[in-house]
Formats: sequence, C-alpha cells, structure tokens
Amino acid sequence: MAREKSSKGNAQALFHSLRSAYAATPVNLKIIDLYVGFAVFTALIQVVYMASVGSFPFNSFLSGVLSCVGTAVLAVCLRIQVNKENKEFKDLPPERAFADFVLCNLVLHLVIMNFLG
Amino acid sequence: MRSLSFFFVFLLSLFPILCFSFNPESPTDRRVLVLLDDFSLKSSHSIFFNSLKSRGLNLDFKLSDDPSLSLQRYGQYLYDALIIFSPSTEKFGGSLDLAAVIDFVDSGHDLILAADSTASDLIKNIATECGVDFDEDSSAMVIDHKSYAISGTEGEHTLIVSDDFIQSDAILGETKIEAPVLFKGIAHSVNAANSLVLKVLSASPSAYSANPESKLLSPPLLTGSAISLVSVVQARNNARIMITGSLDLFSNRLLRTAVQKSGSQDKYDKSGNELFVTEISKWVFHERGHLKAVNLRHLRVGETDEPAMYRIKDDLKFSVEIYEWSGKSWEPYVADDVQVQFYMMSPYVLKTLSTNGKGLYHASFKVPDVYGVFQFKVDYHRLGYASLSLSKQIPVRPFRHNEYERFITTAFPYYGASFTMMAGFFIFSILFLYNK
Repeated sequence: MAREKSSKGNAQALFHSLRSAYAATPVNLKIIDLYVGFAVFTALIQVVYMASVGSFPFNSFLSGVLSCVGTAVLAVCLRIQVNKENKEFKDLPPERAFADFVLCNLVLHLVIMNFLG
Repeated sequence: MRSLSFFFVFLLSLFPILCFSFNPESPTDRRVLVLLDDFSLKSSHSIFFNSLKSRGLNLDFKLSDDPSLSLQRYGQYLYDALIIFSPSTEKFGGSLDLAAVIDFVDSGHDLILAADSTASDLIKNIATECGVDFDEDSSAMVIDHKSYAISGTEGEHTLIVSDDFIQSDAILGETKIEAPVLFKGIAHSVNAANSLVLKVLSASPSAYSANPESKLLSPPLLTGSAISLVSVVQARNNARIMITGSLDLFSNRLLRTAVQKSGSQDKYDKSGNELFVTEISKWVFHERGHLKAVNLRHLRVGETDEPAMYRIKDDLKFSVEIYEWSGKSWEPYVADDVQVQFYMMSPYVLKTLSTNGKGLYHASFKVPDVYGVFQFKVDYHRLGYASLSLSKQIPVRPFRHNEYERFITTAFPYYGASFTMMAGFFIFSILFLYNK
C-alpha cells in the first residue's frame, strides 16, 4: 500500500519535474517541438488510413509518409543545431543552420512532388 | 484394231481428274469410287445410284478385285469419296487395302460401307478402324421377333423394321420419315465412350444378333437397342463415314416394298428406305450440315483496322461469318447459340453472338482487367454439323503510366498530407524567424 502510493507519488513527481524543466526551454525550441509533433501526427494518420483502405497507389503513400518523416527529421536537426545548450554546435551561427534547413526542405519537397504521382 | 483400243485405254488412263476431299473452293465436282462384288448390283441398286448421279456425283463402278484399283496417283487422290458395296471381298485388287482405305478417310474423304451376312474380315476390320464393331459371329444376323416385316413368307424374322431414328435435322433432313425402314443384315455396336460415332438407326429393344438357322445355346452378346443398324462417324477433320450391316437397305427391292410392322395395323405403301438413304447420303457427301467460318475480325470500337494489341478495359467488337453448304451454294447459317470466348487458360469473357440473318455473327464486349496473351476462340460442335474450331491470338497490355487517371481518388489523403507539410513548413519558418 505504501509502496504503491510512493510509486504513484514518484510518477507524479517525475511528471511535474519534467513539465517544469520543459517550461524553461526557449520559445523557438518549443515551436520546433510543436512542428515535429504535427509532422509525426500527420504520418500516423496516413498509416492508419493505409491500413484500413489498402495500399493501392503505394507510391503516393510512401511519398506522403516520407514528407512527414523527412520534415520531422529536418526539424530535429535544426533543433539540435540551434539549441544554445548544445556544446557541439557552439560555433555554428543559427542563421547558417536555418539556411541549411530551408535548402534541405526544398530538396525534400521536390522529391515528394515527383514521387507523389 | 488392238493398237487402237490400246491407244484409247492409254488416253482414258491419263484422264482422271485430280480432286481433293470436300474442297470448299470447288465443291461441286466430285468423283466417287463404287466397289462392287459383281456388276449385278448396278441394276439391283439402281434407284440409289441414280439418285446420287442426279445430285451431280460422278460414280465410277469397279469390281472390288479389279487389279487396276487405286485411290491415289503420285500423291494426289483420284476420288473424293468411296462407296464399298462389296461385303464378301477378302482382299481388294490393285493398290487398295485396309491401310489405303483408312488413309483415304484420314485425309478428309467420305466413305459409305455396307456389310451383310457374307461380310469378310477385311470389311469388318475397316469398320473397326472407323469405330464400329460388327458382331464377330460370322453367321449371325439381326433377328427381331416383335418388330419384323410382315411378308408373304413366314421367314426367320430377319427382315426387320425399325423407326428408332436419331433426332437430328442435319443428318436426316427436315422431312420426318413416316414409314419405318426395312433392314436385313448383321448387327454392329458402337462404343459409348466414342464421341464421334452416332447411331442413326437403332434396333428395337426386342432385337438380338444370332444365327437364324441354329438353336440358340447361350444368350446372344448383342441385344436390344445396343444393336445399331446404321451408324455414322464424323471425324475431327470433318470426313463423314456411314456404316451399315445391310447392303439390302439400299436395294431397289426394299426401297419399293410396302411395309407392315408385326403387331401394328399401320400399313405403308412404301418403306422409308428411299427417303432415309437419300437424306443420309446427302449428309455424308456434305450437301447438308457442312459449315465454314470465314472473316474472323476484331477491332476496337471507333476504329476500322484490327489493332495489333489491346489495352485492358478497351471496348472491342468481334465478328465472324458462318456459311452452310446447301449442295449448290454457300447459304448463310442461322443459329442463336454460337459463342465466342476471350480465353487465356480459362475463358474470361463468354458471349453469345447475335446474327444479322445473312451469316454475320457479331458481339461487343469490354476487355477484362487482366493483361496477357489472349485468344478469341469460337468452338461450335453440334450434332450432325461440321465442327468449327477457330482461334486468333491477341496480346493485351496494362495501362501505360500516362493512361491512369491523373488524380487517384484513394490517394487524396496523401496528396493532402504532402501539401499540408509544405504549408506547415512555410508557417513554421515565418514563426521561427519572427518570434521575439
């Protein structure tokens, strides 16, 4: 009884500490996190749709899922490079990171449009 | 004088017109070789022979042991058909033998074979090769104590009467044979598993095959309706053969006799023999029931030429022309059960063709949603008619990549997702750059 209560209390304490730690992150990183969440959510919708209807234009399915996953990956890369707490990319100007992000996205969407059929 | 006759014979021997089997291009000149035991048959069966001659057949009468007999010369056949009215011949003369007769039939020519109680092994073997088995007992005849012809003399009931005809307008003509047919001869049976042989005239259930002069010691082997009196065979190359166990069936005597069946009161002034042998000889010599199919055409709806290849889900039109030989000309064949199959291992499409009454059969259908190499197949096998087996191969290809519909409906969520991601990217980059 006491152990359950303490584990429940532990989980709650963990959750609260995570939440307060996250509240301390800068706003632009939070925007990136929102963006990644949106991309993964869209990918999940497409996978559920394919499971129910069937994979007839398989190339279109792959293209749609790739756009979501690729966007998420590029956004995560941007977040890593822009995060000031990351010692590895200390010397990289955030503008350079953003420029890379934009170029990669352009290439990604070009490929998506081509493969979409 | 002798040299003159020699010269004449020499000229005549150069004369034979080289003909083929029923040749659709020249179907009216036909030579028939008639083999006889002795020339008295020419007069005793004159009504039958005259009816053949009046239909344009060229009869060549020869004795069956004539040393100059031959069916072919230098690889070409000299005759279009063969009539063997020589039941007691043990060996043919000249170059004719069992193998030569069978080769003649195998190459598409017609044959009428009549045996009787003096039938030799040679004649019985020819019949066996054609699918008909005569009774092995050489002294047996068909006896029927319930269906015999009432005549002045009591007899052993070997002159029997039968009206158990096959139901076929093609073989026996459209006029119903009212009077029964008189028969006197030996019995034969056909193998039920053989789909090419037909019993045209069967014996009544009370008939049996036995020696009329001796007492019956054991039950006879051939009895009842299993005994066939007249059979025909239509080979797969459309050669037609008629085999019967009674040479008297064709004789003037039976053709002209009045008939009264035992046990019935109906008396007919004339037997049905004349109508029967005339109609069946018309069928054997291809004057009825011979079909030809020409001009198998297919094209895409809206075009005029045959394409080399179809695409799946194309609309196409198929047409074929079928004619029947009427003895003098090709008449359009009218039927409502000709079908076409679009076939690749199994028929994907099976359609009944509709006709315009002038011999043109047509149908339209959609190519199925399967690609591969298909065949248009028309298989038409009907009782008494020549069999038609036509096929034409045509490949069917799938859609080319630019023949699909431009935007596939089931893929709209994916299109939506991709465009949403692009819009999301724009909005995100604006928010990211301009947040304070």
